[in-house]
Formats: sequence, structure tokens, C-alpha cells
Amino acid sequence: MIRGRYAIPAALLATVGIFGLMAFSPSAAQADSTTPTTVASAAGGYAYPTPTSTTPTTSPTSSAPSGYGTADITLPDSFIAPGQALFDASCASCHGADAAGTSRAPNLQGLGAGTVDFWVSTGRMPLAISSIQATVKPPRFDRLQTLQIAAFVQSKAPGTGMPIPIVNLSAANLEVGGSLFTLNCAACHTITGAGDALAGGAFAPSLHLATPTQIIEAIRSGPGDMPRFSEGNLTPTEAHDIAAYVHGVIQHPEDRGGFGLGGIGPVGEGFVGLLVGVGLLMLVCFWIGERT
Amino acid sequence: MIDSSLRWVDDRLGIAKGGRTFLDKIFPDHWSFMLGEIALYSFVVLLGTGVFLSLYYIPSAHEIVYHGGYLPLQGQKVSEAYASSVGLSFDVKSGLLMRQAHHWSADIFLGSIAVHMARVFFTGAFRKPREFNWIVGVTMLLLGIVNGFLGYSLPDDLVSGTGIRIAYSILESIPLAGSYLGTFLFGGNYPGNGIIIPRFYLLHILIVPALIVGLLAAHLGLLVKQKHTQFKGRGKTEHNVVGSPMFPTFMAKTTGFLFVTTAVTFILAGFAQINPIWQFGQYEPFQISYAVQPDWYMGWLDGALRIMPSWEFVGWGHTIPLEVLLPAVIFPGIIFNVFFAWPFIEARHTNDLAYHNLLDRPRDRPKRTGAGAMMLMLMFMVFGASSTDVLANFFQVPLNSVLWFFRIAVPLIPVITYFVTVKICEEMRGAEGIGKRKPPNVVHRSASGEFSTVPAEARPGDGHEELEAVPVPAFIDMVPADLATGPGIRRVMR
Ligand code: HEC
Ligand code: HEC
Ligand code: HEM
Repeated sequence: MIRGRYAIPAALLATVGIFGLMAFSPSAAQADSTTPTTVASAAGGYAYPTPTSTTPTTSPTSSAPSGYGTADITLPDSFIAPGQALFDASCASCHGADAAGTSRAPNLQGLGAGTVDFWVSTGRMPLAISSIQATVKPPRFDRLQTLQIAAFVQSKAPGTGMPIPIVNLSAANLEVGGSLFTLNCAACHTITGAGDALAGGAFAPSLHLATPTQIIEAIRSGPGDMPRFSEGNLTPTEAHDIAAYVHGVIQHPEDRGGFGLGGIGPVGEGFVGLLVGVGLLMLVCFWIGERT
Repeated sequence: MIDSSLRWVDDRLGIAKGGRTFLDKIFPDHWSFMLGEIALYSFVVLLGTGVFLSLYYIPSAHEIVYHGGYLPLQGQKVSEAYASSVGLSFDVKSGLLMRQAHHWSADIFLGSIAVHMARVFFTGAFRKPREFNWIVGVTMLLLGIVNGFLGYSLPDDLVSGTGIRIAYSILESIPLAGSYLGTFLFGGNYPGNGIIIPRFYLLHILIVPALIVGLLAAHLGLLVKQKHTQFKGRGKTEHNVVGSPMFPTFMAKTTGFLFVTTAVTFILAGFAQINPIWQFGQYEPFQISYAVQPDWYMGWLDGALRIMPSWEFVGWGHTIPLEVLLPAVIFPGIIFNVFFAWPFIEARHTNDLAYHNLLDRPRDRPKRTGAGAMMLMLMFMVFGASSTDVLANFFQVPLNSVLWFFRIAVPLIPVITYFVTVKICEEMRGAEGIGKRKPPNVVHRSASGEFSTVPAEARPGDGHEELEAVPVPAFIDMVPADLATGPGIRRVMR
């Protein structure tokens, strides 16, 4: 059976398809626009979407930012009492009434408000199931409650540990952030920030959800299997540059060229190439060939 | 006028006879005979898009300051190779489309070679007298893989750079010759003095493609000379070929297929992102990203490397890293040697020295089919092993468990596959009426309401479909009426 008569319509269709794609493909369409949507070029630097989570809407007073990256949130004493109530209800069963730790969970005294903020605001705490590693969940507490809990834990060992940073990325340098990220973080979180399994059952999570504050807190506190980067390893400026890169580029990648296929690289591409590419063409063979 | 000038040419070159053999070539119509064409046409697409890329790509490791369309890279020092690849993606009109089309067609090219090879293998088309063409084919597969790796390295991004680094360690692991080979290829110790990119470029766009073109010519030449194989069937014997002639039927079909292949490639290139190098950044020998994998056709090598326990041989003043040597040199070496030698291995095993123009149905050769299924499964498992980290992350299981799963599964599952396949083939051969076309039945209802089934009478259109009449050009001999099995179908003696 010769389906010769289909060859000509097929050829026509295909040609139309090719020219259509040439005309409408993302690259052709975007080639003219010099301003990508995610990172707007401003004079001398870059403008970022203003992170909302970084400015607490509640009453804590912040020390006046001198430049960026050095200012921290000062939690008022009035937060401690409501914080203690929340802690008693949700955390004390594991961490002990005065956060000194039990056999089930580590001591929190001296870790600082920033560490508590990170674990609570990413939804890791309160711990739901004891797996090897606490996972990111929708946070249980709102911003005010989180800060109150942080204030309570901080009050157990005042002046120690990491405070909650005030993050202002407007002056951060994206290019420096990019190379610092490649150097310090990509080895675990992958170059696209998609995250990956690590040895020993741990995994580096995706960075696509973290807020700039959480990124700085993670860098400074080193949660779980992640190393802690002190100010000697990464200066405050550098930490902010990294946060800017994660927030501006990793979380809003320049994804021209079609569907991103999950940013997991050649494995996904191989499957698509074989199933869609070769698969479709085999169907065409099957269509124009004889099937006995 | 045209006639006389054509005759003038023919009087001197005598090409009409060859041309006639070519136009008269008979192509069997079975769909599986078109798989090789996917490979052929995606190679054509590779050549076309490759030429476009080479107009803009600069094969140099020379450091420049980036000024282009990708803002996060502005003002950074990058190699010209990386800058021009990012430039292709951002600043050149249709550049990204062409880059992606080139990469997707490389994936399709090697995938279709694999599928085509499986067809040839499972039907026994490689048997005498076609062993040479099998060897030519395997060589093209090897060269295709090599060229894919070379091309993947050209953009000089973090992911491909890691691939070169691994390739260098593999070269180095070869006892005695290794470090010399490495130094020779890289012009010094890794990462070399920037010489590797121009060298890879030369190999990638000229030398390896030229070799493939030469082998392709040999492949198709042998095909015309030896003629196609065919499945058993009505009017098909060891001594004839039944199918459509090159001109006009097959010509129309195959040209349409060229367009379809191009279209599918460009549809993928337009809609699915591949290798977004701007997100990876420039390669620096001291940086590394997790989740680095090579393209799928190299994945099986990477997978073997990953699951290998870290063994090392130390003695006589040398260290031989078995952990690299075994999976990355010996393992592919064995695989490709088996590929090359298979026609001879099988002939020796079956003592079959006859000419074969009729194909086997896979189920009629349980052991061969089992061996093929085993090889496919082995490849699939090792490929799976190349994504241990992706799998662990996706299924949220520890990386180590995934690793151990593959260490056990890679040798075990292919063997099970072999026995299961052999068993299935034997059962299928035993079953009655299998493989035969089922005749349609007519259900009758008698006056008393009783049902009965009677096989229907054969009608035109059942069984073998009728063919449209195709006018035979005057310059091809008509087929004697007693040889024609149907209108348009041509048959030639071998
Ligand atoms: C079910 C028991 C449980 C509950 C309830 C719980 N935690 Fe935890 N918490 C843990 C465990 C176990 C760890 C150690 C987890 C790890 O390292 O991955 C931990 C770790 C932490 C850490 C990080 C300690 C470090 O060394 O970095 C902080 C901060 C923390 N919890 C705060 C809280 C707060 C605040 C609450 C209440 C909102 C809370 N936890 C509720 C079990 C619990
Ligand atoms: C050794 C591997 C490693 C390196 C290097 C590393 N991380 Fe992590 N990172 C982790 C792991 C593991 C976790 C999860 C911790 C947990 O949940 O117990 C994590 C968690 C995080 C999170 C929290 C994500 C979320 O949404 O909850 C952020 C943000 C983060 N890392 C940022 C960074 C940045 C920025 C760098 C570079 C300065 C970096 N990491 C370097 C391993 C690493
Ligand atoms: C067997 C045939 C071929 C295969 C399998 C192949 C494969 C590849 C692959 C996988 C890439 C990486 C693409 C990317 O993501 O950037 C590449 C790049 C490239 N190829 Fe090929 N290719 C082949 C033939 C050719 C030919 C014949 C040419 C030139 C005439 C060519 C020119 C190029 C160039 C210039 C690049 C670099 C482009 C860039 O990185 O931006 N290729 N090739």
C-alpha cells in the first residue's frame, strides 16, 4: 500500500510549519527586544521587584540602615510574652519549655532570632514528620507570630546568635552575585537552583521559593547539612549580591527558547528528544509505510 | 534541445546507466524500512543548522568582556566561545532557534540510529551478505556519539566544561598511554592552554562530519548494490525484491519525509528549551554544579561511571584508577566490539553461512531477540543510572539507596529480560494462528433468534490493500504482466 498521495499534503503542511515557526518562534520574536522582562536595566545597576517579606509590616523598630546588608531587625520586648505562649503551644513539646532542647529536638538557645525566623517562616518548624530532613511547608504562623516566637527564643540568650537581617537588594550587584553563587552554592543547589539529592540521604532544596531574607538567613545560619558562611567567607555585600542573583535570576530565569523542561538538564531533554522527536517520526513512518 | 545536451553529457560520462539503476531501485514498503531515513534526514538538518551556527560561533578560549543581550552577564570576563554561544541565543536573529534545532536534531539523529539499528538487528538484516553494512552503521553510530560530545563541549559553559573534565580523566585512566594521550589532545595538562576548543571545533564541523558523509555514501551505495531485504510474504522470495520504485513513488514519499523530519525538529526547537547555556555560566575549572549530565547518548557512559565502586590498582609504581578505566574504557569497548562482531558471532553460533535476503520475524529467533532485548535493557538501566541524583531528588529517596539499586539492577535485570524474552518468543511461536491476518466474520441471526458466525468472503481491500496505479515513466522497462503482483508494485530479480 503506497500512501504516495499523502506525501504532498504532508510536505506542504511541514513547510508551512517551518515558516510559521521561524516567524513566531520565541527567539525571533524576542530578538528585537533588548529589555528582558525579569531584570529591568536601570542606570548603573538593576532594579528588582521589591521583596515584600523583607519589611515587617508590624511595629518592630529597625536600626537605621547604614548602606545595606548591615542592618538588623530589633525585636521589641513586648513580643516576648505572646511569643512564649505560641512557643509553649507549638514548640515546647519537642524543644522544651525554655527552648533548651530535649532528646527529641536540639537546643535553640543562642541560635538567634534569624535562625528561628528561617526555620519557622519556611514552614520547616513545627516539624510534622521526623524524616531525615525537615521539609519546606506552607508556614504555620504569620509574620507577626513568627517574630514573636523569634523574640521569645532570643530572650533566652540575649545578644547571641544571628539576628533577623533587613534585606534591601536595590544596590546589589547581580554579576558578582552570579559568579559567587556558581562558586559557593551551585555545587549543592545546582546551577539553575533546581536543587538536588546529596550524599547521605540529604537533599539541597530548590531555591525557587526562598525569600531574600530567608536566603541571607540560610547563608548565615547554615541549616541542616548546609555549611554556614560567616562574614569572613562572604561579606554582607557579597551575601546580598547572592540573594539578589537568586531572587532576580534563579527565581525568574531568562527562559527563552520554549518550555523549560524543569531545569533538570539532559535527562529530561533526552526523554523529550526520544519520545516526542523520534516517537513522532516513527508514527509518521507507520503512517506512510506498510504495516503487515 | 535538453535531450541532445543530456545525451552529450551521457556520451562522455555514461551516467545514464547508473542513474537508471538508482531510479529503478525497489524500496520495500514496510514502515520499519523508513527508520534509517529519520537518521539520514536529521543528519541533513544537522548539516544545515550547523552551517548557520558556524557563521556566528567563535571557536576561541580567548577572554573578553561580555557586552550582549543577557544582562546578568554584562561586564563579566568570559571566553569568546561562550560569549558567541550566548550571543547566538540572544543577539542573533533566529540564532536560538537554530541552536536548539541543531541540538534537538542531534538527539533525534542518534535516537533514530538506535531505533534503525534495532530494526536491523531484530530482523536479522545484518546477516550474510550485509555484514559490511552493519559495520559501517555501527561506525557511524560511534562517530555520531563522538561528534555529539564534541559539539556539546563547544559552548564552553559550566555543564559541558565538566564533561570535558571527565573526558580528560577518562583518557588519563588508560594505563601507560593515558597521560600522553591527554597531553597530546589537550596540548598540555588539563585544562590545556585554550587549545582544546579550536581542536574540538575542527573535529566537530569538519573531520567527523566528513567521515560520516563518506560512510553514509558507502552505506547507501551498498544498499543499492545489495538491494533491500524484505519480510516473507506473498510473492516475496530470496531471489526478488518487491516494493515501490525509487521514481516516482518512493521519491515523493521520501521527500515528504525529509520535510516532516525537519518540521518535527523545528517544532521541538521552537517550543522546547534545550541546553540553556546562559543559565549555566562560563566554565571555570574550579567550579562545579551538581546535577551535571551529558546528553542522553552519552548518558550510559556516565551512568556506568557513577555506579562503579571506587576501586584502584596500585603497583609497580603506577596507579590505575579501575573506577574510571573499567566503566569508561573497558565497558564501552566491550559493548562496541560486540556490536561490530555480532554478525560473525551469530554466524559462528548458528553455523549459518547462507545468503539471506528474507528477514526473520523476531519471535522466530528467540535467542537473538532475547540478546537484543538484554542489550536494550542494559543500555536503559545504565542510562537510568546516569540520573541517580535526579531520581533521588524526584522520588525523595536517599541517593545511596538509588545507587545501590542500580548496582544490583544493572547486571541483574538485563539477564532476567533475556530469559523472559526468550520465553515470550517461544510461546508466541507456539500459539496457533498468531501473526496471520484474522479473516472478518459475518454474524447471522436465524429466524428463531439463533446466532451463528461464518467467516466472510474475502473482498478487495481486505488483506493486502490495493495500490493506486502509478504511471511508469517511459525510460524504465515495464514489468512483464506475469511478474506484477499488483498495479504499481515492481519486482526485480537480484
Ligand atoms: C515534632 C517535634 C518538633 C516540634 C513540634 C518543633 N521542632 Fe524544631 N526541631 C525539631 C527537630 C527534630 C529539629 C532538628 C531538625 C534538623 O536538624 O533537620 C529541630 C530544629 C529546629 C531549629 C534549628 C535548630 C538548629 O540547630 O539549627 C529551630 C530554630 C527550631 N527547630 C525551632 C522550632 C520552633 C520555633 C518550633 C515551634 C514553632 C519548633 N521548632 C517545633 C523538632 C521539633
Ligand atoms: C553542602 C551543600 C550546600 C551548599 C554549598 C549550600 N547549601 Fe543551601 N542548603 C543545603 C541543604 C542540605 C539545605 C536544606 C537544609 C535543611 O532543610 O535541613 C539548604 C537550604 C538552603 C535554603 C533554604 C531553601 C528553602 O526554600 O527552604 C537556602 C535559601 C539556601 N540553602 C541557600 C544557599 C546559598 C545562597 C548558598 C551559597 C552561598 C548555599 N545554600 C550553599 C545545602 C547546601
Ligand atoms: C553528526 C553530526 C553532528 C552532531 C551530532 C552535532 C551535535 C552538536 C551538539 C549537541 C552541539 C551543542 C549545541 C548547543 O547546545 O549549543 C553542537 C554545537 C555546534 N555544532 Fe554541531 N553537530 C553535528 C554536525 C555539525 C556540523 C556539520 C557543523 C558545521 C558545519 C556543526 C556546527 C556546530 C557549531 C558551530 C556548534 C556550536 C554552536 C554553539 O554552541 O552555539 N555541527 N553540535
